[in-house]
Amino acid sequence: MKNIVIGQYIPGEGFFYRLDPRTKIISVIVLMVAVFLLDSIYHLLVASGVAMILLLVGKISIGRVFRGLRPLLVLLVFTFVFQILFNRQGAILVNETLTLSATSIVGVLFLTVLWRMLARRGKFRFLLLLMYLGGLYLAMRYLTFWWQITTFPFVIYEDGVTMSIFVIVRLVVIITLSTVLTLTTKPTDLTQGLEKLMRPLKVIGIRSEDFALIISISLRFIPTILDEANKIMSAQASRGADFAEGKLKDKIKQVISLLVPMFIIAFKRSEELADAMESRNFVPGKPRSRINELVFNRLDVLTSVFVVMCLTGSILIRVL
Amino acid sequence: MGIQFRQVSYHYPSGSINFYPAISDISLSIAAKGEFIAIVGHTGSGKSTLAQHMNALIFPTSGEVEIFGSVVSKRRDKKVKYNDLRQKVGLVFQFPEYQLFEETVEKDIMFGPINFKVPVEEAREIAKKAIVMVGLDESYLRRNPFNLSGGEKRRVAIAGILALDPEILVLDEPTSGLDPQGKKQMMELFKDIQDKTGKTIILITHDMDLVYEHTSRVIVLNDGLLVYDGSPDALFKRDDLAKYHLNYPETIRVLSAIKERFGVDIDVYQKDAISAANVIRLVMGQ
Ligand SMILES: Nc1ncnc2c1ncn2[C@@H]1O[C@H](COP(=O)(O)OP(=O)(O)O)[C@@H](O)[C@H]1O
Ligand SMILES: [Mg+2]
Repeated sequence: MKNIVIGQYIPGEGFFYRLDPRTKIISVIVLMVAVFLLDSIYHLLVASGVAMILLLVGKISIGRVFRGLRPLLVLLVFTFVFQILFNRQGAILVNETLTLSATSIVGVLFLTVLWRMLARRGKFRFLLLLMYLGGLYLAMRYLTFWWQITTFPFVIYEDGVTMSIFVIVRLVVIITLSTVLTLTTKPTDLTQGLEKLMRPLKVIGIRSEDFALIISISLRFIPTILDEANKIMSAQASRGADFAEGKLKDKIKQVISLLVPMFIIAFKRSEELADAMESRNFVPGKPRSRINELVFNRLDVLTSVFVVMCLTGSILIRVL
Repeated sequence: MGIQFRQVSYHYPSGSINFYPAISDISLSIAAKGEFIAIVGHTGSGKSTLAQHMNALIFPTSGEVEIFGSVVSKRRDKKVKYNDLRQKVGLVFQFPEYQLFEETVEKDIMFGPINFKVPVEEAREIAKKAIVMVGLDESYLRRNPFNLSGGEKRRVAIAGILALDPEILVLDEPTSGLDPQGKKQMMELFKDIQDKTGKTIILITHDMDLVYEHTSRVIVLNDGLLVYDGSPDALFKRDDLAKYHLNYPETIRVLSAIKERFGVDIDVYQKDAISAANVIRLVMGQ
């Protein structure tokens, strides 16, 4: 539960921090659409290049954004492998025969053990996984002597490669954009921006203030609740409830010993919060003023122009 | 035996923004029997962090803790059963009433022993003893813990740890949030447990009167550093406690004020009531 980067605001300065949250929210959505419209790898690469330059201009550490991608690495690898193995369209790029033989099975087992041992150390896990997959391929390709059991074809089609690159680049772009948004926008500003943007929904009976209030209270209490959960977990561990091990039956009991107190704490906190808000004269639905009103400035106009240009560009590329 | 800290430091993992250790370079040794120790220090000085090292809830970033012969260090040792250490050193968290979750007090007290593989019947007997030990009677066993008063809940939670029959009992600010009467009763309870069982008791507290009156040893933390480890009497004879954000006990403060105000020559470190009468006589005689 620690080291969550997605959805975390990090104070800083630079061009992204000075933008109005409304501009940022709309821009992120429009840019996502623009990237999805692109259907050639070269255009996608150009778009990624532009994104990189923007990150540099905005003084956002690229390392931070990539750390946000880390939880999704497994998903990315899975997509890649899946596409390469099962997509059978387009020209054939690689056509090899893989062999299961006594030697290659030994090789595979050896590689698996080696991989698990090294992965236990906890460093360069992702790199190790890639090397392991490559190693599997090499073992089955070249260790063919002795006792061949079966052989099977290993074919990579062009579309498999392009599709997987597409999917991955798009995922990376979505995550990068939303990471930049949350990294550079205070949760309060984000909800205020959402509230303003959702104002028109009043027509269909959705009160955007309530919605924004719910979001900001939830965001505010996530760290508190995590903190409380850690505390209760430690307290129950002090009574011998080891959350790491134990049989299924014990596990259920241990989860209950965490959930019941958490619910009680959550209810207590929400009651206290409601009292505190009421005693400060908060009435749901009444108009309220803000300390910092959102204002558009020149930067927002420039950004909007840039984003619209991106969108027009990708539409034109798509259509022409 | 008991607990030994050897140059223990601890960084919280999320502490990358304010990157100073919660405790640093702590070395101390706690006997397995007969000690009554207070840990004091201002809020955020690392008391709770220190306490959680005592039953291997958190692992030192550097240095090592030896708990009843098992070494706990940064690197987890497959051979050490960390869970068993938690039975040897019982830790009562701050506001322990939040950890109650069963529908009867009895079941809640039995939760700990059963986790440590005590047979159910035996655990039930233990629960009976534990509830009496914390000064409630057996009729409480059938009650729902959520319908008890704050002080009663806290007693039940403490009974839940006592039921583990730990060798050493660690209590993190057990009196915080209680009224003066409740505080006094709680303290008498610990004194009583110590008299009866001879277990080592470690108490985290802000109450200097209690430290002065009851404990045999006091450990002072300041900004994560151990700055004093010795008798309370010697501690309160020092004149630089403000440096560590500590107060003097009430008796010392009152006697010092009298000494200064009336210019009488009295021993400000005396503790018994008879000489207090003498003080009054001296003052009235003026
Ligand atoms: N869960 C946590 N995550 C990060 N930092 C923490 C956490 N708990 C405590 N700290 C920090 O460690 C230091 C010591 O805290 P703690 O041991 O709780 O002090 P005390 O119990 O003396 O008030 C404080 O600076 C506090 O901010
Ligand atoms: Mg504390």
